[in-house]
Amino acid sequence: CILHCFLFLLVFGRAIHAIARVSDEFWFDPVEKGLALRSVNSSRSAYAYVFFSSMFFQRYCWTAVSQPCQKEKQLSLPCKLIIKSILPVFRCVNVLERNVEKCSIYTNVNDHHITFQLLCKHGVVKTYNLTFQECDPLQAVFAKHMCPNILKVHSRLLADIMIHFPTSQEEVTLSVTPVKVCLKSYAEEDTGFSKTMLTEIQLNPDEFDYFQVGVDSEVTFCLKELRGLLAFSEATSVPVSIHFDISGKPIAFGIEDTVLEASFILATLSDVEKETASQQPPCVSQRQESNAEAAASKKPRWNGNAPNTESAKPTSPLAKQEIKSIPRVAKKGTTGVAGTAITEAEDRAVLEGEATESLSYFYKYCIFQFHSLFFGAVCYKEKDAISHTFHSLATPSDAEEDFGSGQSSQV
Amino acid sequence: MRFRAKIVDLACLNHFSRVINTIAKLAKTCTLRLTVSKLYFILSDKVANGGVSMWCELCQGNFFDEFQMEGVAAEHNEIYLELVPENLSRALKTAQNAKAVKIKLTNKHCPCLRVAVELPSLSSSSRIVTHDIPVGVIPRRLWNDFREPSVPDFDVSIYLPVLKTMKSVVERMKNLSNSIVIEANLSGEMNLKIETDLVSVTTHFKDLGNPPWASEDGCQSSAQGRDLENMAEARIDIKKLQQLLAGQQVNPTKALCNIVSKRIVHFILLHEDVSLQYFVPALA
Repeated sequence: CILHCFLFLLVFGRAIHAIARVSDEFWFDPVEKGLALRSVNSSRSAYAYVFFSSMFFQRYCWTAVSQPCQKEKQLSLPCKLIIKSILPVFRCVNVLERNVEKCSIYTNVNDHHITFQLLCKHGVVKTYNLTFQECDPLQAVFAKHMCPNILKVHSRLLADIMIHFPTSQEEVTLSVTPVKVCLKSYAEEDTGFSKTMLTEIQLNPDEFDYFQVGVDSEVTFCLKELRGLLAFSEATSVPVSIHFDISGKPIAFGIEDTVLEASFILATLSDVEKETASQQPPCVSQRQESNAEAAASKKPRWNGNAPNTESAKPTSPLAKQEIKSIPRVAKKGTTGVAGTAITEAEDRAVLEGEATESLSYFYKYCIFQFHSLFFGAVCYKEKDAISHTFHSLATPSDAEEDFGSGQSSQV
Repeated sequence: MRFRAKIVDLACLNHFSRVINTIAKLAKTCTLRLTVSKLYFILSDKVANGGVSMWCELCQGNFFDEFQMEGVAAEHNEIYLELVPENLSRALKTAQNAKAVKIKLTNKHCPCLRVAVELPSLSSSSRIVTHDIPVGVIPRRLWNDFREPSVPDFDVSIYLPVLKTMKSVVERMKNLSNSIVIEANLSGEMNLKIETDLVSVTTHFKDLGNPPWASEDGCQSSAQGRDLENMAEARIDIKKLQQLLAGQQVNPTKALCNIVSKRIVHFILLHEDVSLQYFVPALA
């Protein structure tokens, strides 16, 4: 496809920097409606998604080049870029705004290049040709609307709060009740005589633009990855919305306005440390069960769909149900056709999932299940923590091991 | 053992923060001594510090609106705590426009100084930021290690040049050499010298003035009867000098140093309500 656009550098640059905090590489996914950038960190505990609609750009031309390949017609060609190659382009966003008059992005599928061209003052033109690698799409499904706790706050307030934590602070705990909000630094229990300073901030619900607490909860997540989003939201001055549930379930920070949308989904620490020495029946069934009952109490949407728990395959109603309830995050960038393809992937993957369950990676964090066609599902020890509501619909790139090869950027 | 204190006045708070920032630049860990009327930040001369020692004294009344302290015992109404001043500095950094700052000694899981900053917020109730700074309680049997060092029997005492100037000179010299020689005489002249294989640089200051020290039973006799032009000198670690100068955020009312030739340099920086003494031993 051919993508051609000029853009607001500051905001775009901040988005790149925010994504860079999550991972070294990101998915560059131009579609008809706009440009989507996604990334996920190596431990799968943080996922970033930024979508710029075509209206964000001064000019946005996207031409579909249909490729007769694979079972589905891919109308969009997602590709993966190493972020280090693009960061220099947007290194000093503030300076950039002053010196650069236009920035355009061209892609040429045939020779696997994305070109960033900066037209600067005094007739200077900087051209960056970055090689990309084709890959399978990356997407996370997270049902924001299913979260009982929703907070909306202006990014200024969040920044004012985060400033009290040292930049080295890795993790923080957000704890809410209907009358109180508290954010505190998190330190591992087993450091013995803790030598570190602990900071705690108490806020009044009044300070939030929107405050809904359906269930008292305490979630611990990584602050480092979030700071990127905070800087980004300050640039856009769009309020930040926070969707979360109980500990163990992911927390989503998002901003949205008419021309752009961003979601940062972070895994949260699960309280349940106990190991599943008793590896119960496949993730699938457990999931479905807990989902069914959880769902029943939360929203009527899922009811009546108690899937047969013992079966090795997900029932098609279930699969279909998922597609139906795709939250916005997933909707963008997927075509209907791709949706079907994804279902297939799901089916197969779940099978694989069970097979490899015994591998059981012991993750303290769990965000969502990646069903991978290539290397087995990653299963999490805390079954309670697994929420059915978010499945990744796609595989991470199979080239995880070998993406280093052939990925070069001529900057 | 109890301690609680409160600062409500912003000017006092900023002043206190500045003192803490200075201390934080000089010592990674130090001892905080609390008495009914004063606070002391003490660094005793251990090999780990490179032999430097520090004594900083503040009158609590000049900073705190409320100050209550109960020491370990009635006859020893003092508290000695070991802490990392950088933590305290960080806790106070974001309290620039606080409504109030409360400091309390607590012992939940371990002894901590709890700094609670009450910040204004848009809502009806204030935002409260609490920092728990871990501290170590120093037992009474070790208190002797932290006595006020006595003013050494110096050869020359001289006022320092304008600190800002001295700081920029020393900073440039720091790039060239690890040690610096301070020499001064009783005629108000001071030289800062560095010497390496490639280059030697000397900066001369004059008309600095020499502080008059009241002689106590002639213990300053080594300074009297001394040839006015005769330089006393000591070679010290340049980083220590640079840290001292870099940490000064406000110009002191008085700044002077006492030099014991080839032994030690004793810096004294006096502000209205804070006094800071810094001892740097001479290098071999």
